[in-house]
Amino acid sequence: MTTSEGYLLLALPLIPLGSAILLMLIPSGERNAIKGVTGLASLAMFIISVYVFFAFDYRGDQFQGVIDWPWLQNAGFLGKDGIQLKVGLDGIAAPMVLLTGIVILSGTWVSWKIENRLKDFFVLLFVLVAGVYGTFVALDLFFWFLLYETAVLPMYLLIAVWGSGRREYGAMKLMMMLVAASILIFVAIFGIFTEAGLGTFDMPALFDAEYGRNFQLVMFPLVAIGCGTLAGIFPFHPWSPDGHAAAPTAVSMLHAGVLMKLGAFGIIRLGFQMLPEGAEFWAPALLTLGIIGALYGAVGALRQTDFKLMTGFSSVSHMGYVFVGLGTLNLIGMSGAVLQMFAHGVMTALFFLLIGALYDQSHDREFNHYSGMARRMPIWAIFFVIAGLASFGLPGLSGFIAELHIFIGAFRAYPLVGALAVLTAAITATYLLRMFAQTFFGEPSPRWSSVGEISWTERAGATVLAISIFALGLWPSPWIDRVAAGLEAGIPEVLL
Amino acid sequence: MGMEQVWLLPAIPAALFALLALFNRAMPRGGDGLAILGMLAVVVLALFVTLDFQSSFVDGKFAPGAEHVYAFEWARIGDSLLIEFSTYVDGITVLMLAVVSIVTLMVMLYSVGYMDGEPRYGWYFAVLSGFAAAMLMLVTSGNLLLLYLSWEAVGLASYLLIGFYWERQSAAEAAKKAFITTRIGDVGLLIGIILLWRGAGSFDIQEIIEVAHGGGFDNLYLTVSMLFLFAGAAGKSAQFPLHVWLPDAMEGPTPVSALIHAATMVVAGVYLVARMMPVFDEVLIARDVVLYIGLTTAAMGATMGLVTSDIKRVLAYSTVSQLGFMFVALGVGSVTAAMFHLFTHAFFKSLLFLGSGSVIHGTGAQMVEELGGLWRKLPATTLFFIVGSVALAGIVPLAGFWSKDEILVALQGGAPMPLFVILAATSLLTAIYTTRLVLLTFFGEPKDRHAYDHAHESPPPMLLPMLILAGLSVVAGFVAFEGVGKVLGFAGGVGNVVFTQGHKGHVFEFHPDVAIGATALGLAGIVIGFVYWWGRAERAERARSWAPELHDLLVQRYYMDHLYQVTIDKVILGLATVVARFDRLVINESGVDGTAQGIGFTGFRLKFLQTGRIPSYALAMALGVAVLAIVAFGRT
Repeated sequence: MTTSEGYLLLALPLIPLGSAILLMLIPSGERNAIKGVTGLASLAMFIISVYVFFAFDYRGDQFQGVIDWPWLQNAGFLGKDGIQLKVGLDGIAAPMVLLTGIVILSGTWVSWKIENRLKDFFVLLFVLVAGVYGTFVALDLFFWFLLYETAVLPMYLLIAVWGSGRREYGAMKLMMMLVAASILIFVAIFGIFTEAGLGTFDMPALFDAEYGRNFQLVMFPLVAIGCGTLAGIFPFHPWSPDGHAAAPTAVSMLHAGVLMKLGAFGIIRLGFQMLPEGAEFWAPALLTLGIIGALYGAVGALRQTDFKLMTGFSSVSHMGYVFVGLGTLNLIGMSGAVLQMFAHGVMTALFFLLIGALYDQSHDREFNHYSGMARRMPIWAIFFVIAGLASFGLPGLSGFIAELHIFIGAFRAYPLVGALAVLTAAITATYLLRMFAQTFFGEPSPRWSSVGEISWTERAGATVLAISIFALGLWPSPWIDRVAAGLEAGIPEVLL
Repeated sequence: MGMEQVWLLPAIPAALFALLALFNRAMPRGGDGLAILGMLAVVVLALFVTLDFQSSFVDGKFAPGAEHVYAFEWARIGDSLLIEFSTYVDGITVLMLAVVSIVTLMVMLYSVGYMDGEPRYGWYFAVLSGFAAAMLMLVTSGNLLLLYLSWEAVGLASYLLIGFYWERQSAAEAAKKAFITTRIGDVGLLIGIILLWRGAGSFDIQEIIEVAHGGGFDNLYLTVSMLFLFAGAAGKSAQFPLHVWLPDAMEGPTPVSALIHAATMVVAGVYLVARMMPVFDEVLIARDVVLYIGLTTAAMGATMGLVTSDIKRVLAYSTVSQLGFMFVALGVGSVTAAMFHLFTHAFFKSLLFLGSGSVIHGTGAQMVEELGGLWRKLPATTLFFIVGSVALAGIVPLAGFWSKDEILVALQGGAPMPLFVILAATSLLTAIYTTRLVLLTFFGEPKDRHAYDHAHESPPPMLLPMLILAGLSVVAGFVAFEGVGKVLGFAGGVGNVVFTQGHKGHVFEFHPDVAIGATALGLAGIVIGFVYWWGRAERAERARSWAPELHDLLVQRYYMDHLYQVTIDKVILGLATVVARFDRLVINESGVDGTAQGIGFTGFRLKFLQTGRIPSYALAMALGVAVLAIVAFGRT
């Protein structure tokens, strides 16, 4: 990846930001213009994301396409480099950028049918996406945190205005928990800045800086809980089922698909890359919370009869795997964690897309109220089965390759945890197959005779996600090569 | 075309699966012709592979090297993890290729008649092709991870085909049960595979065997690993206590039962243990577990087969029991006997299933209480069914006799006497339930006039595959003979085909004592069957009243299904309820909402501080200044 391609990285947050501004200028009634702008913008983001993912040379430098402008320097407590507008891509962020491109493309398509304040919805959604992209490509800690918050805050309005069910409660709870968590990150970031004593927010410089051992031991839990809350780490996950249940389709997709990954990404960037001794000390705790979350989410999901609540618990379970992978402190397990972030992202986005497609027609999310839906909506059912099979780790689909790395890594570190992780996959199969048997199969219920097949935009969105599921499942090396290279270069020696 | 190109065998049906799954609606007859042509090509290619394999046979040994081919690297993390696609061809593989390709082709031909006019006809052939691809990949795979991949894929195909009539709630439930039960076994399999990788540093089967031979494993560690591995085999091959899914799997279309749940997928566990036998030989405790589980299953399956009314379920219990026979052979270390029985069983059991399909197709009934006297209406089916039954009962000279004889001989030489007696008794039971099934279905008075009157013989596309399989059921056992083996190119017969490099070969020997004993047992079983079920079956009724508790125990399938149901409902779902409530009440309402309420309450209290009265503020300020002054001056 050349330096000039770094401008593409810069374009990733700027396109949604610019589109959001452009959208504000369009009258609300011009639905076609809104669709045109958002469609083009999301397509551009998708194409650039795919391009930079493949353009990233995993044999090359750790950070590629690095470009920077000074923003604030030699002012007050800031030194020479101070705050810079700096972007770059490494092997850990590359699959995350790709994931964001995939999810926003399909998320945009399925949001076009929103009747209520379509323009305002997209303005907020695109601001959110700008924040997400920005966090993944930013190499300046000040901007990193600014964009991280930019990604989180629009969520409140998106759920409270366009949500369903207990939307005010869900939105408020989500916001409260995430803002409280952000305070911890805020403290950690300024602690890191001060302790490094370099007078700069430049992230590569901060990765290499020296931090005292005690400082690291104190700071790592702040990062782990602060970012972990967004990633749905047990027991800081309760915003997830309620938030997901209340959120509109595209927001659920982005939130479960991408935003939760932002949290895990934060733990890697701040926790593992800057505070390795803290990470080493706390890794067993992280791993323990991870495996508890994985089992807890899976067992809890067995009892859910609401599609979205089940998927919410399932997300807690799958994100638990990510922490197991990170906590193994070996390259295989940590690679598995990053792969799982991608795999869970596309899989859960597909789940929420399909649940939303059904809910928009039936306004009922209790899956016990359905039967024989494979007759009424065969295409919908096939996509759902693909997402489900990926979710419980069927070989050939995305989940397997990620979970396999986590299992192997866990067996290397703690065989018992590995065995429990494998067991969790069987529980996942149980709750999903129960839901399949109830919802898709059996005699079609006359109650839903008016419910028809999903629309073309929904099919297109689901196809993009399903292709991603198959791509990682069948041809995993582009992902694995980048992730392993990124971790090898980025994670300090003491950890691997 | 030779062993190097063996990857083509799974590749062809895999491509057809993709093609048919997406475009079957656009094709004439749902693309069934394409699927059959593809399978025919696979049979021909399998023949080429076999010929190539034979040509490497020199001086009683196969030239090593050619059988192991690395296709490509799938995923790699530096030096720490390597996952590659590789193929491996040896005697066991060749045998499995013959079984899988031939039975799949027969079943596809049969399905043209049997599934005619069904909805989702094209989808059916697509999934059959997909299954064949996965099964062929499973038996040609050179490493455990690729094997696991195809292992799960055949499980998925099985799920889709058991649930083929998904509008029936029972089919949906059966598919779910099959998948989850085998999945529980697969947890063990994956754990076992990762444990072996952890010890040997490779997923490659031959490398793992080498490390095991070289003493690279701790003995206890290896025992545990192999037991986990066997859990996967037991799940897939419906061994006690994971056998409960197979009878329910009969909800699928009958040709599927013949292919997947009799001849191919359910023997994957047998194949896996046979493939890993050199490692099992290192840990005899694990091998003993295989032996005892196999024996238990063989006996349980046969007894349950005695009292079942559903013709397909009888055959399912029979399959469970016969798979138990194969594991018994493996348990005493005789790969040859197990694989030989796998080979013959595939033909006669798929024949029996196709025969039962012909009965169901012709009458619309499948309970023996509704059948009877069908030999007049379905003469060809009756003949084929009897051929299969005699082979199953182990009567000389049909296929089942030779292979069952091998197992008994192996057991006689390698295990305590009581085990031999139990297995011999199970052989007797096999002959009895087989005779019962034949008599109740095809002879005696018709029990359901309506079904009988409308009964008709099946069309040629269904009879032809049955004819071929009947022929194989008669002659398949002869491959054991050295002479026949030589004609086919396998010097020394099946015994010398089925052995792995460095593993002890086996030459077929005819043991007159065991053979005469086994035949006598088979004949005795048939006689007992006639005594009880020939004619009006009063004796059978009386026998039932002698031991009603025993009869009930068998009809209730030893209460195993019941036990599982209670475990799932009470224990697992109970735990899930606890977790779900804990999450809502403790973590959410106390932890999160409680904190929020606490903060709200604190705020409510704190607001009284803001009184708006100047004197209170002045007082607070004065107090504050005083405190600051004390702190500041107190320090110096």
